[in-house]
Amino acid sequence: MRSSLKLTKLGWIALTCFVLSLFAFIYLSPFIRSFVASFMTWEQASRYPPEWIPDPFTLENYMKLFKLELFPRWIFNTALYAGLIVAGNIMFSSMAGYAFARLKFPGRDALFSALLALLMIPIFVTLVPNYIIIYRLGLIDNIAGLALLSLANVPSTFLMRQYFLSLPQEVFDAARIDGCGPIKTFFYICLPLAKPALGAVAVYQFLGAWNAFLGPLVFLRTPENFTLPVGLSFAFQRSMWTEYTPIIAGSLVAAAPTIVLFIALNKYLIKGIVIQAGKG
Amino acid sequence: MARVFLENVVKKFGKVVAVNHVTLEVKDKEFMVLLGPSGCGKSTTLRLIAGLETPDEGKIWIGDRLVNEIDPTKRNVAMVFQSYALYPHMTVYRNIEFPLKMARVPKEERRRKVIEVAKFLGIEDLLNRYPKQLSGGQQQRVALARAIVREPEVFLLDEPLSNLDAKLRVKMRFELRRLLHDELQITTIYVTHDQVEAMTMADKIAVMNAGKIMQVGSPIDVFEKPANIFVAGFIGVPPMSFFEGTLIEKQKSLFLDLGSVLFRIPKTYYSALHPHVGSEIVMGIRPQDIKVTLEPQEDSYEGKIVGYEPLGTETYIHFTINGTKEYIAVIPRGMRISLKRKVYWKSNPQKLYFFRKSTGEAIY
Repeated sequence: MRSSLKLTKLGWIALTCFVLSLFAFIYLSPFIRSFVASFMTWEQASRYPPEWIPDPFTLENYMKLFKLELFPRWIFNTALYAGLIVAGNIMFSSMAGYAFARLKFPGRDALFSALLALLMIPIFVTLVPNYIIIYRLGLIDNIAGLALLSLANVPSTFLMRQYFLSLPQEVFDAARIDGCGPIKTFFYICLPLAKPALGAVAVYQFLGAWNAFLGPLVFLRTPENFTLPVGLSFAFQRSMWTEYTPIIAGSLVAAAPTIVLFIALNKYLIKGIVIQAGKG
Repeated sequence: MARVFLENVVKKFGKVVAVNHVTLEVKDKEFMVLLGPSGCGKSTTLRLIAGLETPDEGKIWIGDRLVNEIDPTKRNVAMVFQSYALYPHMTVYRNIEFPLKMARVPKEERRRKVIEVAKFLGIEDLLNRYPKQLSGGQQQRVALARAIVREPEVFLLDEPLSNLDAKLRVKMRFELRRLLHDELQITTIYVTHDQVEAMTMADKIAVMNAGKIMQVGSPIDVFEKPANIFVAGFIGVPPMSFFEGTLIEKQKSLFLDLGSVLFRIPKTYYSALHPHVGSEIVMGIRPQDIKVTLEPQEDSYEGKIVGYEPLGTETYIHFTINGTKEYIAVIPRGMRISLKRKVYWKSNPQKLYFFRKSTGEAIY
């Protein structure tokens, strides 16, 4: 009886491992394919059925990439864009989250519900109005102008609000009795305690900004101001065809910081998910 | 130092009246305990005094100042919370220093005061540690130090011992009283649901229930002369046993008709109870004042044991008279008892309490 139970349990574990491995392979296969293709010639990479071993093995795609004059500039632009967005979100989303979680003001909950409702509006709907605003501000083709649109966003605000709600009320009461108004409480108590949530916001926003394509494509015009994803697409797109293998190589190079970041900070990403799943 | 005075204070949360027309005076240097069950409004009352809540009606005075509109930061009160509410990202030193820093006290003076208070509370070795590295008792001392360092006019404590283990609680109970009352002589308002804490620490106890103050008095007063059934039942371990019945008079003697039993009321109570003949009343007897024997005695009544709780030094027995309501008595250890056993009980004739059944108010 006992051994049959043990066998059933082992069977379930084996099945779980198989299913998880299958899904992991399915999710990883485009990345593996990209990695392999980045060492192939375009002729081999475009063959059907797909081939998985580079023959001949070539570094030509990477050479083309690093020969691009604007490649370092695009990396700098992307870093600047991501940096501005991370800084903006840490500052504004944490302040907004604090206000929604801990301050009492008329219409607070209605305003927060309205903010959440924004999540249901597709980005394409706001693209044109945003373009007009940025155009009127004279910030088209400007990294700062593009970043301005994303300095605060709803998911980050929501995450910070949830985190501040999870902190014990007594700490806030103690701070108030000890002489802190709302602003001092934010800077002396909330921000230092919010490091895990701020870490999660930073990682999410960095990943989003580093990989952003649509925004930079619409709002940036001159190649010098492009971010990496747009720059790569621009560099290897010809009038009749596109050189995909250098783009693939470029995408892998571009993905490197995000992969490193994910490995180093994935606890913050998980923390972020846990916080958002917390009490409302 | 200051007197605290609450005048007709009301606090509502939606439709719930948490504090209902409370009037309370805490004299300068007095140690007042707000005692009551969970949800009775005692913590809300404390938060109103601290300024963490705003009253819907009434006035709150600290010293000569009406503080209704004064921000908690400017009330010069200090508060110790149930969870201690230490700032987890600050060391013990920074925690204690924090209120001084917010008050813009110069750095050198802050340092001097923090060290002085830490020495006073015996925590100078812990100054570089973080709260999570401290035991419950140590955390509590740090919370006290953070409160004391400001030299407040009023000390507010919200169930500060409830997170400690039983042994440490007894020790800290004594220390807190000595520190706040005997040494610092600061007006203190202490919230607890533990009546032993209240009895052992307070100069005065304010017993609260359902947002109202039921009685204010010295610990002995509220124990010996409860103003109503609630206070009588809440103060005392184990709780007072209540016998409900109709008061009747036979041949110039008063009896409480308990249904199956006619309880003879001692002559001492005749004049006080006589106006209530024919009414439903409640008689209260503290379990310590019920004598239980295995054999019948003069003026004893029969009962049946339905449960017992041996405590080592003594045993609480639960018995019934007519099989419905349960009463509690304390018997000495060593007495041979068993479930469903017949016993005989009688009361200490000097220690009976009588209440109106309709209002719960004390008659005698």
